[in-house]
Amino acid sequence: MSTSLSVAVLMSSIRSGTSLLYATLGEMVGQRAGIVNLGLEGNMLIGAAVGFAATFLTGSPYLGVAAAALAGMVGNLLFAYIVVERRANQLAAGLTLLFLGFGASALIGRPFIGVIITGLPRFGDFDPLVWLAVPTALLMGWLLFRTRWGLALRAVGEDPAVVFAAGRRPDLLQYEALAVGGLLGGIGGAHLSVAFTLSWDEGMTAGRGFIAIALVIFAKWNPLWAVIGALIFGGAEALQLSLQAGGADVSPFLMNMIPYLLTLIVLVFWGWNRRSAAPAALGRSFFGVE
Amino acid sequence: MMRFWSLLSCYLMLLLTTLPASAAALTVGAIYVGSVNDYGYNQSMHDGLATMKEAVPGVVLLEAENVPETAEAERVMEGMIQQGAKLIFATSFGHQQSAFNLAKKHSDVFFEHAGGWMIAGNFGNFFGATQAAWYPMGVAAGKMTKSNTLGFVVGVPIGYVIGNVNAFALGARSVNSAVQVRVVVTGSWSDKAKEATAAGALIDQGADVVTMHVDSPATVIQAAESRGVYSIGFQSLAAQKLAPKGWITGLGFIWAPFMTRTAKSVIEGTFKPAMVREGLGQGMLTIAPFGSAVPEPVKTLVVAAGDKVGGGYNPFIGPITDNTGAVRIPAGEAWGGDKMGNFDWYVEGVIGKAK
Repeated sequence: MSTSLSVAVLMSSIRSGTSLLYATLGEMVGQRAGIVNLGLEGNMLIGAAVGFAATFLTGSPYLGVAAAALAGMVGNLLFAYIVVERRANQLAAGLTLLFLGFGASALIGRPFIGVIITGLPRFGDFDPLVWLAVPTALLMGWLLFRTRWGLALRAVGEDPAVVFAAGRRPDLLQYEALAVGGLLGGIGGAHLSVAFTLSWDEGMTAGRGFIAIALVIFAKWNPLWAVIGALIFGGAEALQLSLQAGGADVSPFLMNMIPYLLTLIVLVFWGWNRRSAAPAALGRSFFGVE
Repeated sequence: MMRFWSLLSCYLMLLLTTLPASAAALTVGAIYVGSVNDYGYNQSMHDGLATMKEAVPGVVLLEAENVPETAEAERVMEGMIQQGAKLIFATSFGHQQSAFNLAKKHSDVFFEHAGGWMIAGNFGNFFGATQAAWYPMGVAAGKMTKSNTLGFVVGVPIGYVIGNVNAFALGARSVNSAVQVRVVVTGSWSDKAKEATAAGALIDQGADVVTMHVDSPATVIQAAESRGVYSIGFQSLAAQKLAPKGWITGLGFIWAPFMTRTAKSVIEGTFKPAMVREGLGQGMLTIAPFGSAVPEPVKTLVVAAGDKVGGGYNPFIGPITDNTGAVRIPAGEAWGGDKMGNFDWYVEGVIGKAK
């Protein structure tokens, strides 16, 4: 591949990986607090639908993204109530939110299919969300590892009883973590509709939410590794399409499998090793201390 | 005495409920694989059905969008049949088996499937004869390109779609022997993010005219317009306004006359199952208006090619070699309409792998 083509593929990977990165960071914050959110895909879809609708209605893509972030946050807070307050099984609740998000986004987005919006403008080769992606990862890293809030949040993910004993409220911290997570997931979805495709269609995230969940494992629950992961997966999609355009002598069906094969490989090899890196109380409900 | 009257009133009520429903001449059901506002395939189907509804008095139209190409389609169509539908349009290629299963189950309901090959006593098949119609599109692209690279985004690489790509390539090379067509397959009739990336990848490879066979041309056309390259549309004429600068021309489906004929035949009891393929000049397909960037000589050439195809010209006359050099259609032979689903190879000049 010539250098200009490699650069083009790299740029395409960065653009493609941006929504993945935001979603991964969102999921990561929640998981660091001990909560698995399998409904990330639904969260992203709500962000995409609301973002697109709001952009069309207000004429401003920035307001659209803000609305998407808000909607994502609200969705995740609903999930938080079910999981933290009512102590429902996290996996089941997450999947329920997935389907709810799918349906709600379809309902919200239905009147807006086919409308034209002015999307996020490009500064240089990228729109603002792409430029802010890595800074956001750095911000999340700082929040999680350099602030007291982050410390308490990570502690909740390891052992909520200790946090409770220290006098803080694990449930409140989990609410806050999920709120931030929902915000980021909503932004990830909004990037797809308001910047990447400038359109809305039912189910348009096409599994990105699930890839993001796998990426959290790949990244060892560390925001900086999430950047690498999102680039690799965004790159896998951009690369296989670029290889097709370049005339690769491989069946297009196999080529289209590449991003998902990669996810599988990551989960098989890294998932095993990194199990010890997972927050110890991930997936467990805190029932209080006697 | 009371017993008699209560029995009589029960009997009368039963009679009333079994009386036929209001005077709907025909309930028609239609399922779409996507949304009807997609500037593309589903929109063209919906527009055809809406026109049919206006044209045939007493038609009740039941529609369901986003019906996936799975067993779910069977469930949705069954629901429409329960609501009294006597004619069902299964508009997406992958709805075929589900519709066929129901046709076997309900011999009093008629089915029309778009784009497949199955036929039964109450099951017909229809589509535009798109393959040859892509030839004039290729002529347009071959003339407008400066980089001699054309890009084609393919959704699902079934034989009929590969045939479209081949006709496009043949048309382009007939006016410009240096031209090459690069193909990218997304794997799905509709995946907007992939289509945007695929169009970008083709443009990165130097394509300055892009076109597509996916359900909605909108994403590819918008991607082309934002990169300043030409685009050729497909499925619905509504897509032209998405590319005010780069639009060359396109192909659009006009389904209404066929749908109206079919609805009337069901009402009159004269339904005949058939494999209907109408090409340019026969009604189902039309060439879109030209964009402002197209010079007059090119327009004349394209219209002439369109008329030639409308008059019966078949671009798939041998000898035709594929892109590995093997002769696929020997001299003296031609691939006609019934063979359009058999394409699993690309003609010379297409860079891509068909399977």
